[in-house]
Amino acid sequence: MLLLTIWEGAYRHYHWRTFIYPAPSHVLDSMLGMLGIQSGFGEPLHPGWPAPLERDTDQPPLASRIFHSELLGANLVSAIRLIVGFSISIVVGAFLGTAMWRWTSLDEFLRPLFLGLQTLPSVCWVPVATLMFGLNETGILFVLIMGSTFGIAISMRDGLRSIPPLYRRAGLMLGAGGWRLYRYVLFPAGLPALASSLRQGFSFAWRSLMGAELILIADHQGLGFLLKLGQDNADISQVVAVMIVMVIIGMLADRLAFAPLERRVHNRFGLGTTA
Amino acid sequence: MFFSLVAKKSPPKAAAGKLSLSHVSKRFGNSDIAAVEDISLDCQPGEFVVVVGPSGCGKSTLLNIAAGMTQPDSGGAFLDDQPIIAPGPDRAMVFQDHGLFPWLTSAQNVEFGMKMAGVSPSERSDRVARALQMVHLSASAEKLVHELSGGMRQRIAIARALVMDPAVLLMDEPFASLDAQTRTQMHHRLQDLWCQTHKTILFVTHSVGEAVRLADRIIVLHSHPGRIRKEICVDLPHPRKFDSPDISELAKLVRKEIEDEVNRVNAVAAEDSWRSQENADLDAFADDLGGGI
Repeated sequence: MLLLTIWEGAYRHYHWRTFIYPAPSHVLDSMLGMLGIQSGFGEPLHPGWPAPLERDTDQPPLASRIFHSELLGANLVSAIRLIVGFSISIVVGAFLGTAMWRWTSLDEFLRPLFLGLQTLPSVCWVPVATLMFGLNETGILFVLIMGSTFGIAISMRDGLRSIPPLYRRAGLMLGAGGWRLYRYVLFPAGLPALASSLRQGFSFAWRSLMGAELILIADHQGLGFLLKLGQDNADISQVVAVMIVMVIIGMLADRLAFAPLERRVHNRFGLGTTA
Repeated sequence: MFFSLVAKKSPPKAAAGKLSLSHVSKRFGNSDIAAVEDISLDCQPGEFVVVVGPSGCGKSTLLNIAAGMTQPDSGGAFLDDQPIIAPGPDRAMVFQDHGLFPWLTSAQNVEFGMKMAGVSPSERSDRVARALQMVHLSASAEKLVHELSGGMRQRIAIARALVMDPAVLLMDEPFASLDAQTRTQMHHRLQDLWCQTHKTILFVTHSVGEAVRLADRIIVLHSHPGRIRKEICVDLPHPRKFDSPDISELAKLVRKEIEDEVNRVNAVAAEDSWRSQENADLDAFADDLGGGI
């Protein structure tokens, strides 16, 4: 807060150029603007501040403006892509991870490959996606899935490997053979691994999606596109505002969904708490 | 008495609980020394047999063969003359590290085997309640595994095994990780349980004290290769007073037997030097056994 105040103060005192260094107030204006709310926090102090000096008077009501705003729409588009893509990643990744754990020869073949692919930044899949699928939703989903599946598979496999062999023996001893061993013993035993891999996988998926949206322009406009728009319009305030939104959403998803999920599973198992 | 009730409910079993190992041998990987070599062992129905021996003498392998977790290279394991080919709840096992499922509560852990066997939910909760009562843990039914103490975990593991009404109870150093007081407590409880249920028990341990307190018959194993070194019948009646002179006398005898075995193994490992000076008995022993090693 203090930092922001100093920044704002310095900005107003030295008159930096708006299109290179935005002030926090400009970023705020831009963010509200994308939400359909006009504001003038960045303008020189005047009577009526922070309402903007020049104002469109002929506008639909506020609720409807927010509802139809760029930012909300972009978030919705990104969220839908994320849910669809990440779900596919989870299913495919968990399946691959389980298969790698089950069959050693498959593991020996796939693990180095996956580890290698994981070092590849996910935006590097954009050209492939563009050439294979074109500039459309499939392309974006492809990048997202490529960016997160391998990580999920690897951490799923590692997690399953850490299940004590004793559980398997105890299960067999108690008559849990065949599919029952998977359903009632190995799957629940692997839950902590799954929870951690979901948490990690989400951050991969989110980053891949933002990267893909930034470069690969499809019919619908996601959050990454707003960032790109900011760049094209030389509107640094918007760029920074969108970046902040991205960070907030990523953090919220982790704090509100994935970290609590992981914590709950770990508490149940009596494993040490992780943040 | 509870288990006689259960036995009436479930279909009559031919299984009386006679566990036989017949000339079993097992070698792991390309090791040239057998973990278990030509061991034959009969546990009569209702008998409490304890296998003792230094670590690495193949005790656990023996137990795993009886459980059906490990297949012997030669020879066979039989329960009431039926060959043992896979693990199953009729040979319930209590593991050293309890092996309880951490995602289930105590009661759910005890219930697990019956759930797999398709026992009706109402009968399940009945039997769970009585099994928990038997190990005096009714109050901990809803606790998670990590909320239980070490001794409580082992008692739940025993309840989980007993609730299946197994023909044989296999115990793999079940009290090895407990402190001395808890262990003595557990010995009392196990003795009580055994007096009530008269299950056949095959119990593996490296603790001589444990063996003489509990066993009808003690099998001392010999390592590298794993063979039976000595069988000692314990004629003391149950329930026993653990501090009686008979028990300590017997413990001395068994301990001597094990020490000799450990010395022999050490001598083989150190290859010679002190063996001839220190232990004349052992020398004679090593003459006929150590020669091939």
